[in-house]
Amino acid sequence: MDNVKETVISILNDLTGEDFSDNLDENLYDSALLDSMGTVQLLLELQDQLGINAPVSEFDRNEWDTPAKIIAKVEEMQQ
Amino acid sequence: MMIDLIDTIDSYAKSNGDKVVYNYDGQQNTYAELKSYSDALAEHIDAMGLPINQPIIVFGGKSFDMIAAFIGVIKSGHSYIPVDVNSPKERLTMINAIAKPVAAIAVSELPAELPDIPVINQTELEQVFLERVDYHLTHAIHGDQTYYIIFTSGTTGVPKGVQISYRNLQSFFEWMVGDEFKLPVDLQMLQQPAYSFDLSVMSLYPTLFRGGTLHALSKKTTDNFIVLFTALRSLPINVWVSTPSFVDICLLESTFDQDHYPNLTHFLFCGEELTHQTAVSLKKRFPAAHVFNTYGPTESTVAITQVEITQAILEKDDRLPIGYMKPEMHARIVNDQGQALPEGDKGELVIYGTSVSKGYINNPEKNAQAFYQINGQNAYRTGDITTMEKGGLLRYFGRKDFQIKLNGFRIELEDVSGIISKEEHIKQAVVVPKYNSQHTVSMLIAYIVPEENDFKTDLELTSAIKKNLAGMMMAYMIPQKLVYRKTLPLSTNGKIDIKAVISEVNTQ
Repeated sequence: MDNVKETVISILNDLTGEDFSDNLDENLYDSALLDSMGTVQLLLELQDQLGINAPVSEFDRNEWDTPAKIIAKVEEMQQ
Repeated sequence: MMIDLIDTIDSYAKSNGDKVVYNYDGQQNTYAELKSYSDALAEHIDAMGLPINQPIIVFGGKSFDMIAAFIGVIKSGHSYIPVDVNSPKERLTMINAIAKPVAAIAVSELPAELPDIPVINQTELEQVFLERVDYHLTHAIHGDQTYYIIFTSGTTGVPKGVQISYRNLQSFFEWMVGDEFKLPVDLQMLQQPAYSFDLSVMSLYPTLFRGGTLHALSKKTTDNFIVLFTALRSLPINVWVSTPSFVDICLLESTFDQDHYPNLTHFLFCGEELTHQTAVSLKKRFPAAHVFNTYGPTESTVAITQVEITQAILEKDDRLPIGYMKPEMHARIVNDQGQALPEGDKGELVIYGTSVSKGYINNPEKNAQAFYQINGQNAYRTGDITTMEKGGLLRYFGRKDFQIKLNGFRIELEDVSGIISKEEHIKQAVVVPKYNSQHTVSMLIAYIVPEENDFKTDLELTSAIKKNLAGMMMAYMIPQKLVYRKTLPLSTNGKIDIKAVISEVNTQ
C-alpha cells in the first residue's frame, strides 16, 4: 500500500512541482495546483503507472481533490 | 449578393421565432427572444448618446445574455469587447485603459469599478431586456467598421486588442457555411470556449447566420468531468468545435464514439496544433465523421486555412498539415529579410487579404511591427514558421519568437515572465514550456529566484505565490509548476537565457 502512496505523490510532484508527503490534505483545486488538463494528465498517469482505469465520465472532482483522497480511491479501485 | 448578418438573424425571429438559438446548461432561449432583447438593448444604448462606432466592453460568462448583449451593441452601431467573467480585475482595468471604451455592460458583476465610463449593471440590463420596443435597424455595424475587439497576450504584460471588422467577420462565416466544410443544414454546434477567445466565433456566427442552435457549456460544467459527460450525452450536437485539448479529455471516455453520439458528423479544430495521435483516436471512434484541421491567428479572424484529415493523410503524415488558404486570402513564405522564398522552403508565413484585421487598437508601435499592406490589402506577419507545397498546402513547424499555445490559449512567454516577476515573493523568474512527444506544450514551468521569506516549505511558498498570481493574470497563464533556484542562467547580454532554460526543461 505504501507503494500506491509513493507513486501518487511522485505523479503529483511531476504535475505540480510540489512534494505532498507531509500535506496529504491539501486541496489541489482550491489552491489552483491542478486544473482540468492537469486532472487529465493525473488520470493518464494513474492508468499508466498503477493500472487504474477511472472512467472519466464518473470522475467527480470533489471525490479526488486531495492527495489523501486520491490515494484512498486508488487503493479502493485496486481491490 | 451579400446578405447582411444582423438582418438575417432578425429574420429568424419572424420565420421561426420559437426555434431555440441558445442552450446554456439546459436553459433555452429562442430567436424571438434574441431579437427582442437585442432590440431593447440597442434602443437603450442609442438613448445614452454615446459617440458612435466606439467600443463597448461586454463582461460576462457564456450565458444567453452575453450574446444578446453582443447583438444589441452591434445594432446600436458600436463594436464590442468580450471580457470573460474569470478575468482578474487587473486585466479588465488594463483593457479599459487601452481600448478607451465609451461604456461597459456588466452581464456578470464587474470585479473592478470603471469610474470614467457609464456602466449598464446586471439589474439594469435585466430590466432593459424585459422591455418590448419597435426597433428599426438604421446604423448597425457594417463594412469596414470594427465589429469586435479581442484581446490577446502581449509581450510586455500589456495585452493587444485585435480589431475585427464586419467585412472580416462576413468573409469568415460565409466561408464556414460554404462548400468547403459542407456543414449540416440545421446547425447544432458545441460552444466550448469563453467569448474572450476567438475560437468561440467559429461556432457563434455560422450558427446564428444559419438559424441553428448553440449548445454552450459553463465552465463549472466543463471543469468537473462527471457533470461534463452527463451534459454532453444529452446534447444533439452535430458539429463539434473545440481545441484539440478539449477533445483529448473527451477521448478518455470510452463511450465518446459514433454509437453514443450518432448526430455528430463534423469536428472542427482550431486554436492549437491538432496532433496525429488525437486525429487517429478520433477517426477510430467516429469513422464516418469529417475531421477538419484549421489554422489562423486572431489577427486574421479565427481561421484562414482548412484541410479535412482523411485516412490517406493520417497514413502519409506524422505531423498533420494546417490546410489550404480560404478564398479572399493569400499566403507568402518569407525569409528574415522579408523576401519571398521558393515553393517548399521553410520561412515565416505572411498572410494578406480580406480576413486580416486593420490592426491592434491604440497600438501604433505593435501595428508597425506586425501589419503592412501587400497589393493594397491588409497583410500580417504571423511569426509562424511554415512551408507551402505546390497546390497551396501549408505545414506548421513552430514559432519565430517565444509565443506558445497551451490548451489552445495563446501565450507570450515574456509576458508571463514579466507579470510573475512582479509578484511580491519573486525576485526573478522565467517561464518556459514543457513539450510532449507530439510537439505540443503540456505545461508551463516557472524557474524562480525567490525573495527571502519565512515559509516553512516550498509548498507554502507556492500556494502563496499562486494565490497572488490568480489576481494578476488569466488562470491559463499561471505556470503549473514552480521550481526554485538560487540563480538563473544568463545570456551574454546579461538577460535571463530563456533558450537555455527551455532546453534544460525539455532534455530531461
